[in-house]
Amino acid sequence: MNISDMLILAFANLFRTKLRTFLTVLGVVIGIGALSSMVSFGTGMEKNISDAFKKNDLFTSFTVTAKEIDLEQLSEGNIEDFGKILEKPTTPLTDSILKKIQGIPGVETAFPDILFPSKLKIDEYYETNTNVQAVPAKMGNYQPFNDLLAGEFFKDDSSNSVVIRWETLKRMNLFVQDEEKSVSLTREDSLRGAKIVHPDTLIGKSIQIISKSFKRSGRPVNPLTLVMSSAGDPFNETVTELTICGILKRSDPFTNIRFRGGIIIPTKTAGAIPKLGFSSIWELFDKKQKGTYNSFYIRVNKMENMNFVRKEIEEMEIHAYSVSDQLKEIKRGLIIIDSLLGAIGTVALIIAALGIINTMVMSILERTREIGIMKAIGGSEKEIKLIFFVEAGFIGVIGAIFGLILGWLVTRIANRIINAKLIPQDELPVDLFYFPLWLLLGATAFSILISLAAGLYPAIRAARIDPVKALRHD
Amino acid sequence: MLLKVYNLTKSYFKGKLEIPALREVSFELSEGDFISIVGKSGSGKSTLLNLIGGLDTATSGHIYFRNKDLWDMSRTDLAQHRKYSVGMIFQSFNLIASRNAVENITLALTFGGVPRKDRKQIAIGLLSQVGLEHRIYHKPSELSGGEAQRVAIARAMANNPSLILADEPTGNLDSITSNEIIGLLQQLNKEHGITVIMVTHDQENAKRISKKVIRLHDGRIVKDME
Repeated sequence: MNISDMLILAFANLFRTKLRTFLTVLGVVIGIGALSSMVSFGTGMEKNISDAFKKNDLFTSFTVTAKEIDLEQLSEGNIEDFGKILEKPTTPLTDSILKKIQGIPGVETAFPDILFPSKLKIDEYYETNTNVQAVPAKMGNYQPFNDLLAGEFFKDDSSNSVVIRWETLKRMNLFVQDEEKSVSLTREDSLRGAKIVHPDTLIGKSIQIISKSFKRSGRPVNPLTLVMSSAGDPFNETVTELTICGILKRSDPFTNIRFRGGIIIPTKTAGAIPKLGFSSIWELFDKKQKGTYNSFYIRVNKMENMNFVRKEIEEMEIHAYSVSDQLKEIKRGLIIIDSLLGAIGTVALIIAALGIINTMVMSILERTREIGIMKAIGGSEKEIKLIFFVEAGFIGVIGAIFGLILGWLVTRIANRIINAKLIPQDELPVDLFYFPLWLLLGATAFSILISLAAGLYPAIRAARIDPVKALRHD
Repeated sequence: MLLKVYNLTKSYFKGKLEIPALREVSFELSEGDFISIVGKSGSGKSTLLNLIGGLDTATSGHIYFRNKDLWDMSRTDLAQHRKYSVGMIFQSFNLIASRNAVENITLALTFGGVPRKDRKQIAIGLLSQVGLEHRIYHKPSELSGGEAQRVAIARAMANNPSLILADEPTGNLDSITSNEIIGLLQQLNKEHGITVIMVTHDQENAKRISKKVIRLHDGRIVKDME
């Protein structure tokens, strides 16, 4: 008796008691469905986060700051220690340090993070406030800056071109058409004067950047005087006319870490614009010397060079900070979530296994005489055992296939509901679940394994049946 | 010598109480014999047949089949013995109810290791040998007693055994059908040289058809009748 004979026999036996087999398989289907959908949520989270890191170029880039700001301590209200950190002497981030960093082998590009507040205006009518982010033209080659909906990234550090984000244009009441997700106006949008525009019509259009700077030279000694001042508006306004050369794609909820400003302009062009040296009130507390920067953005040419470059920089007494540091921790957290979700699914599968044991034992009781006959005509214990074992395995295979289909369907429905209800309308839809090959194979293997384990006892019991008694059995 | 039974004893236990079913039974038979075992119910006839068939193991004594002692056989060896050396026929036919005539026989062929492509053809051949070529796709419930027993005989023949053990094969049948079944067994015995051991309580018939009759009483052989 070979394995194909076993399979045919097992299938025939299971097919004979259709309803019972169906219900038993259904138990496994639900178990595998629960297990796979839950684990796919965990893997989906991990994939989304990993993808976001890649999309934001975080595996090959990091930020260095002059001081180690312990945000955790700050958020816990530990102002005293925070103050001490501010007092600590550190290497200031100057142009000469930047030159040194640029000279480290493996560094593709390094530039100061420049961010300043301004007002944007198109056609005198469409306007919004946003931060302007200055970036070298070279960055147009990398994620996320190379992900353009229309136009191209500026080619020159001193060009008069800008790249604007889809979201910024939306805030300006310009809804840019997008092939990936249709754009529509609500009644309120129309009342506000919003309109839908084709992306190409905005390329080459001029845009005004209205920046502010202090009237007096330098900056106030005490930031409070700025806030409390009754001397009226302490700012000058400067209008700079630039041209839109590209529109950045909409980002989904996982991928907007790298964009710090609503509009991206070339570094040298930014240098020429009179501006405030801060983008948030926090930076006013920073005792920054003139000619120094808050932070540098560094991109290495290869992921493998990250550690080397960081070590070199840290030797200069500069703090290097990479979001990818957190990825390990995030992944560790996700493993815990995964195991927890997997455990819940496993419980469902164990209950299904009890169902299999129950079904098989029942089936043996019913088929006692048949087992006796099989032994009388030459069936060995091993063969009888295998017949029942294969039956259990069969339940596992069928359960796994339909269980994975069920799990997939459940995640599709859940994803739809989440996207419809939870993700704001101007965001791109996300896929929160992910079925990698290892999950498909693993769930199938697990299902078969559990089913075989469940079939072990009934199979042994069937094989041990005394044929003389079984043949007298009714 | 095909079979030698020597000093065979079999006891069952009900709790600590020993119930002897066979006591020191010895006999021999040669290839091509047709013998009957007669006796009242409870005299140990079926027990003897089950022991020879390797469905059960003796308490003591020996059964030599072609000079091989069943006592020395492992459970797997006994399964081989049942598969290839003996074919069993029962009073209640013992066909698998969910399988039709031909499927009941192909199951035996499957256990016997016959390739799948040959099984059906062999099974149909066996069924026509017992005169049932018109009933091959009928389920046991759709067959008369005589027909069911013919299917059982065909199944017992499936793996070419040299010994057929028939446990009251006519017990559930009317006299005409009984004669047909016995005729069939005689035919197998004469034409194919298959040795037959038949358990029956019909002494007259037994005497008429058998070369040898063994009478059992309370587990002992009472008298041999040649």
